[in-house]
Amino acid sequence: MHRTDGDTAEIEFLYRQHGPALLLFAQGVTGERSRAQDAVHQVFLKLIEKGSLNRVADKKAYLFACVRNAALNEGKRRDRNTPLEPDSAWFSPPDRDYVGERNLRCALGALPNDQRQVMVLHIWGELTFSQISDLLDVSSNTVASRYRYALAKLRDSMFAKENSCANS
Amino acid sequence: MPTLDDERFEAHLKRFRPLAPEPLPTVGTIRRARRTFVLGAWATAAVAILVVGALTLHIRTNRARVTETIGNVGNPGHLTEDQPLTMRSANALMAKAPSFKSMVDDMAFRGQKIPLPKGKRSAVALLGKEKIKL
Repeated sequence: MHRTDGDTAEIEFLYRQHGPALLLFAQGVTGERSRAQDAVHQVFLKLIEKGSLNRVADKKAYLFACVRNAALNEGKRRDRNTPLEPDSAWFSPPDRDYVGERNLRCALGALPNDQRQVMVLHIWGELTFSQISDLLDVSSNTVASRYRYALAKLRDSMFAKENSCANS
Repeated sequence: MPTLDDERFEAHLKRFRPLAPEPLPTVGTIRRARRTFVLGAWATAAVAILVVGALTLHIRTNRARVTETIGNVGNPGHLTEDQPLTMRSANALMAKAPSFKSMVDDMAFRGQKIPLPKGKRSAVALLGKEKIKL
């Protein structure tokens, strides 16, 4: 397949548009920002090398699937489970709410991996439950269930931390 | 702090924007490489055109000079006055002369155009005037 300037421009646009959510998703899978960055770059470099996304119906879901595979393959290759990085920021906080950012990061990190993936895909990736179900190869009900659990845990965890911070 | 309902909590979470990844290295590299390639191609084409032009001019000039030289060599009268006798001019004389004898005469009795200082005479001229008694 021949790559054109239009294809490259489209891939660049997709990178700018979905790059942050993809990186966050990959960070949730790999636990390390650098490995997540590698996974995202690897996907887009392959896209640039091999051609366009014209044949892909749902480009956003496809990108998340590619990044997930790349991140998982990277994890398998390294053969180790790295804990989530506690210190590097994942988000740009609103109103310089760095404490809130840290709480959110810690709360996300405390979630089970499958729940964290669903949460990131739905909230920041803006994928529907149906898209997530196709991507993770689980039923929509399972996705919805994981999401509800994750949301409740996240809320409890974040506000418990905020309250503990406020009390201390 | 009051517990937010799901929608408000989701909206609260979305206010945290995930950090952007580092720029893709290849996009800039590819563009830069493509630009360099195009510039290089243009420069190469320009140099090639200049070289071809210079060669053509050089060849044409040389050809004109050779033609002129051959023309000059082919003119026996001109040869005897301006040019030294060479194999080429001898051949040219042979080709132009009506007979072998006339060609040899022409070669042998070419005019001497070397200027002599005042009061001096050439040895040939002296010998030519000397009366030899046999």
